[in-house]
Amino acid sequence: MTTKTIPAPPKTAAGAVYDWLDERLGLSELAAFARHKKVPVHSQSFWYYWGGISLFLFIVQCFTGVLLLVYYRPGVEAYESVRQITFVMHFGWLIRSAHAWSANLMIFAILVHMFSVYFMKAYRKPRELGWLSGMALLGLASVFGFSGYLLPMDELSYFATKVGLQIPMAIPVIGPIVASMLRGGPEVSEFTVQRFFALHVVVLPALFLPLLGFHLWLVQRYGNALPPSEEAKPKWVRKSIPFMPNFLRKDLAMWLISLNVLALLASVFPWALGRQADSLVPAPAGIHPEWYFMSPFEMLKLLGNVLPGESGEIAGILLFSLGIGLWVLIPFYDIKKESGQRGRAAHYFGLLAIFALLATTVIGYWTIR
Amino acid sequence: MNYPFWNIPYLGSGWVIGLIAIFHVMISQFAVGGGFYLPLAERKALHMTDPKMRFVWFEQLVKHSKFFLILTGVFGTVSGVGIWFAIGLTHPEATSTLIHNFVFGWAIEWVFFMVELSTAAVYYYTWNRIDEKLHLVVGWVYAGASICTLIIINGILTFMLTPGDTWLAVAGTGNEASKFWFAFFNPTYWPSLFLRICVCTSLAGIWALITASRIDGDKHTALKTSLVKWSVKWLVPSFVAIPFLMIWYLWMVPESQRALLSLGIDTIGAGTFSIITRIALIIIVTSATIVGVAYFLAYRSPRDFNLSHAVAVLLLALIATGSGEYAREMLRKPYVIGRWMYSNGVRVNNVANLNEHGYLTKSEWVWHGSGAGELEAASSYSRGEAIFRGECGSCHTLQGYRALNNLLAGRDRANIGNFITMLHENQMYSPYRRFMPPMVGTRQDVEDLSNFLNAQVNPPALRAQKTVLTAQK
Repeated sequence: MTTKTIPAPPKTAAGAVYDWLDERLGLSELAAFARHKKVPVHSQSFWYYWGGISLFLFIVQCFTGVLLLVYYRPGVEAYESVRQITFVMHFGWLIRSAHAWSANLMIFAILVHMFSVYFMKAYRKPRELGWLSGMALLGLASVFGFSGYLLPMDELSYFATKVGLQIPMAIPVIGPIVASMLRGGPEVSEFTVQRFFALHVVVLPALFLPLLGFHLWLVQRYGNALPPSEEAKPKWVRKSIPFMPNFLRKDLAMWLISLNVLALLASVFPWALGRQADSLVPAPAGIHPEWYFMSPFEMLKLLGNVLPGESGEIAGILLFSLGIGLWVLIPFYDIKKESGQRGRAAHYFGLLAIFALLATTVIGYWTIR
Repeated sequence: MNYPFWNIPYLGSGWVIGLIAIFHVMISQFAVGGGFYLPLAERKALHMTDPKMRFVWFEQLVKHSKFFLILTGVFGTVSGVGIWFAIGLTHPEATSTLIHNFVFGWAIEWVFFMVELSTAAVYYYTWNRIDEKLHLVVGWVYAGASICTLIIINGILTFMLTPGDTWLAVAGTGNEASKFWFAFFNPTYWPSLFLRICVCTSLAGIWALITASRIDGDKHTALKTSLVKWSVKWLVPSFVAIPFLMIWYLWMVPESQRALLSLGIDTIGAGTFSIITRIALIIIVTSATIVGVAYFLAYRSPRDFNLSHAVAVLLLALIATGSGEYAREMLRKPYVIGRWMYSNGVRVNNVANLNEHGYLTKSEWVWHGSGAGELEAASSYSRGEAIFRGECGSCHTLQGYRALNNLLAGRDRANIGNFITMLHENQMYSPYRRFMPPMVGTRQDVEDLSNFLNAQVNPPALRAQKTVLTAQK
């Protein structure tokens, strides 16, 4: 008896390349993992997208940042190079505008992500490290924003940086040293730009990228957390969808929507460039830090009114540091889902934090009008 | 200048038309595209062999035609009339020119419009009440009438951008209507018509996705899958053809106006029309996103396609359509009717006359006071304000949209005077010539406008003046 073997269908070029890579990288295992991974579906699923949106906006910043790097010249030529990017280079204004808007949108998205994680209690065991790394990423993102803001060296960024550096100055003992190190001298100058540039494009990415990788790995390892209301339901009632391709498709759609929001803002409200900074002219009226620094700035101001002088500044820094410390350490206080009292206290603390942030920001903008 | 000026502070009168028009276009173009969607969907359902599927398709089409009737019959018609009110108030001179040329065209459009409205109502109310084939005929009559309204209005809209040399040769002679067909089938007529038809079919699909997305995908999987997939296919013709049609359209636009598109490539300079380039970018991004979302979220997973996805697509379409209409309006600058009437209603052939006799010579809406000292200053301020409203108010506000207070900030009286003089002289080398009309009037008019603007930009001067703009005749 003879047996006939059915010839295998000829492989396409793409198939052959995939096989080659699969053999070496184990792509099939990754694909199988993604297919089996599930994402919960419930009334609060919308909040799951904000981490992805933050990541997308960070990628946009990397891309536009590298393009800006081609023409940006730190130091004494900083302003002139940004002027050329904005008013001479083809679509230079668009790259710069997209970079600045995506930075602001990213910080907004991270804040939304942070509060959604907080109120879903997604910091509880085993996700404590995810919460801590996320907070560190937010801190680094703020420093990214602060250091990038000065780089154009126009009037607004110059004076806003001067104002912003008052915050570390208020830290007892080490404050003036830290501020002086950041400035590269007694005043904000081209040396400050050079230092901020190094911080912005070398030091911060070197810290941010591995931390981001760690954060994403933790997200993959433990998956999306269920909010308490969903956790209370029996397992068989809960719904979920496969990560691949259903959730990924939706996630990518959110990225596309974010891209549209970014394109709309960058095009209709292109990031302006003011006059060149001049340390000899008085600061124009209404100088204020970026919106995400308005809250600590205003808190310092308000406490300064109550306790004039250095004591007010120190009290402000201490109060703010205490608030942040409690916020960061919340996974070690609100540990178990069974402990209703601590869970409720954490919930109210979150509401108080939102109220304090919003109120001080609104007061800050109201008083500079 | 026999008309009173319609002053809308902060927003500007142009945006009143703009907002109504963008809203109207979203619905009226759906009315045209949807006019074909409904009978074609009905025909498809009639040919279905599975009676259950056929039944649910009909059930869904009844719901969709109700939505269609309400949206187009109420919001479409009301906003259409709103445009008439708004253009009559904002651009009386341009509206007058259009009426003098196209009155019969418009009359015919209104006939089709009445047929459209009537058949839309008959179509909805006769589901399952008349013979299936007759019902389908009603649908086709609606489709025919609705596309005829587009065929006509497109001639008038494109005329404003490119009236054509033949009509321009007789413009101002009183015989303009004799060249009706030349004005109607003007250079941009055909590319614009095909472009709009493509947009209409897309909007038919997008609006249909709104109703289809509300079907429960778990209970009616087959119905939802087939309807969503079929609706997405309505987007295909436009996304294949629009890039080529756009190139054709721009090719027919005069070079000087086409150049406005490239102004914003390398600058964001305030006071220029660099916004057109930026708006063009938005159109590209939103259109590409609609394709992506429609394919990945609707076509690839129709069962999970929900109302929020459909609304996102609709909003993107709204942004793309609104941006397209805005860019089209901007491309006309510095004219409201190409090479014939400037965007502030001043006829090109009337500039010399107004420069000699004054912009306000025939205006009954300004106080021409006489006297010396404070009285003279007050009179100048009054005339300056009237000139601002007449010559600048179509595109600028004092505080708000394209605010002159911002654009002229930092200039003193002499500088403002020099700037107005530059606009008045309108030399070939003037950078503003490409997108702004010349400032027309006598030397005194230039002074009056400069005085008025200086009083706004440099407020201390304001205290020395009095606001006395009232119709005192």
